[in-house]
Amino acid sequence: MIWMTWRQFRPQAVAGLVVLVLGTAYFLITGLSIHHTYSADLAACGTADCSATVSAFRGTYAPVFDLTQLLMVVLLALLGTFWGAPLIARELETGTHQLAWNQSVTRTRWLAAKLGGAGLAALAAAGLLSYLLTWWAGPLDPISGSRFSPMTYATHDIVPVGYAVFALTLGCTAGLLIRRTVPAMAVTLAVFVAVQIVMPTLVRPHLLPATTVTYAVNANISGQIRGVEIDGDNESVHLDGLSFPRGAWVLDTTPVENASGQAIRASDYPRCFPGFDSDGTNGTNPGRPGQTEVGGSGIGDIGSCLGGNTLHESMTYQPASHYWPMQWIETGICLAISALMSGFCFWWIRRRT
Amino acid sequence: MSAILQAHALGKRYGRRQALAECTLEIPPGHVVGLVGPNGAGKSTLLKIACGMLAPSSGRIEVLGEAPAGSPAQLARVGYVAQDTPVYAGLSVADHLKFGAATNPRWDAALARTRIEQLGLDPKQKAGRLSGGQRAQLALTIAVAKRPELLLLDEPVASLDPLARRTFMRHLMESVAENGTSVILSSHLVSDLERVCDYLVVLVSSRVQLAGETEDLLGTHHRIVCTRREASSLPAGLTVVGATHTERQSTFIVRGPAEPPVGDWAAESLDLEDLVLTYMEHAAEPAPAAAATPSSTDHTPENAR
Repeated sequence: MIWMTWRQFRPQAVAGLVVLVLGTAYFLITGLSIHHTYSADLAACGTADCSATVSAFRGTYAPVFDLTQLLMVVLLALLGTFWGAPLIARELETGTHQLAWNQSVTRTRWLAAKLGGAGLAALAAAGLLSYLLTWWAGPLDPISGSRFSPMTYATHDIVPVGYAVFALTLGCTAGLLIRRTVPAMAVTLAVFVAVQIVMPTLVRPHLLPATTVTYAVNANISGQIRGVEIDGDNESVHLDGLSFPRGAWVLDTTPVENASGQAIRASDYPRCFPGFDSDGTNGTNPGRPGQTEVGGSGIGDIGSCLGGNTLHESMTYQPASHYWPMQWIETGICLAISALMSGFCFWWIRRRT
Repeated sequence: MSAILQAHALGKRYGRRQALAECTLEIPPGHVVGLVGPNGAGKSTLLKIACGMLAPSSGRIEVLGEAPAGSPAQLARVGYVAQDTPVYAGLSVADHLKFGAATNPRWDAALARTRIEQLGLDPKQKAGRLSGGQRAQLALTIAVAKRPELLLLDEPVASLDPLARRTFMRHLMESVAENGTSVILSSHLVSDLERVCDYLVVLVSSRVQLAGETEDLLGTHHRIVCTRREASSLPAGLTVVGATHTERQSTFIVRGPAEPPVGDWAAESLDLEDLVLTYMEHAAEPAPAAAATPSSTDHTPENAR
């Protein structure tokens, strides 16, 4: 059965191998050059402040960095579409399962060989590519701002392996249920893309309890503030540029609130926000656009101006230390869902489809 | 030896459509069984249940004394060739034999090789490039070379031209004779089965209408041509299976003892095709009793034989 699985999977395996070889070559060639340039640039600027050199370096590579991460996600999706979906759908579509299931091998073993073989291949391929990408992107990662940025998180370290296994079992399950190759491929792709949107927006922020910090608005905060945003509709006030721990993933920042937790209105503090007065008219912005940004030299005084009113602003974030636990949890979720889908496939196939 | 196939009140539903109903059968071993019936009668369904591809919705079935496809050992004992004889289009003939060898403990490699040679198939040929007849032969080769005790063939010759049909049947009979395999093969054409089957099962509109050894069936069925009369006036012991009437004449197909029934009529034997067609017509009529009531079955004289 293993021979047969291999024989049937051979064209896809060869295609996968070609992609893998090309990918490895790409990562090695460009990666060595990136690492070389990076250390050469650092050496050139010596002990001086290198931030300008480094940001110039990252600016050069930013498009390549984004494109490579995108390609990695696309590859994971293709893995489910071209490896997973046809695995069973093609047999059901062409009727060859009737030949396969009537040899002296139970269909449980038949499915186990297929799922196991393709699953291990997917695991190995994704593991290798992810390892290479993580090494390759080492000097570039600060481009994305944080390791938690959706593309960076999904393409680095161990999560891609989880998604590869997920994509494959998703394809298998879709193929088993839909019984036709092309529709199964389309559904696999659609579901995978949907998951890639849902995970970073709805699930990932809550994988571990987030940290909330509260910043008292007073003279001390003035040094941090880079800008003030005032919402045109409810006049809520946002102070930008509050400091947070390095590498943290900021999930949410509240507007400035008073002691009872209510968002303040700019017009309640006309002394600090000239032009907003309590009757609601806006002197400086008669058109009342959606958002007013106050910037420039005067913003530093906002803190001391508002100080004494016991106002605060709070921020919710995932600290950098949660990166690895969250990677493990998300990989675990992917593998658990894959296990459930595989279990379903075994159950379904024994029901004599 | 026990029955090769024993079904009790077997039924299969697809949603609201009843594909097989109240199928009770017991087929003794050592026969080439012809499963005949019109298209959509449930022949494929019965065979798929027998090989374990489908689970019945109701009733029980045992094949060679065990539940179908329950274990690798049971799978090894039953060979099945599906309708349209599917093979892997992208794999070569040799790959198919390798597949058979890898998945069957009793695989007869020599037999498979010899058959492929006899058929003149190129082992390197991709199965997708084979003709319909060659594909059917390849599928049969795989099923035979696994040396099953029972071979189930679903419309194996339906897609073949007359010459290929004859070749296929000859090869089938050769391998069956060599190995003492029991065979159940289905067809909607009696002519396909006439020369090879010594046991007959007639399946019409999802029900078994007739089952038995061909010789017995032919011996106990007769055609009676007599002056016009009601079926009820025939002597007891004769079951009327079909009746046609003209103005002055009645023709009955009756089932009775092995000797032709004696009376004021001419009794003659039937051939297999007549017998099967009579049962198919009989089953196609709305009520089972209708066949015995002359008034409801007035056929034109041209149809009466």
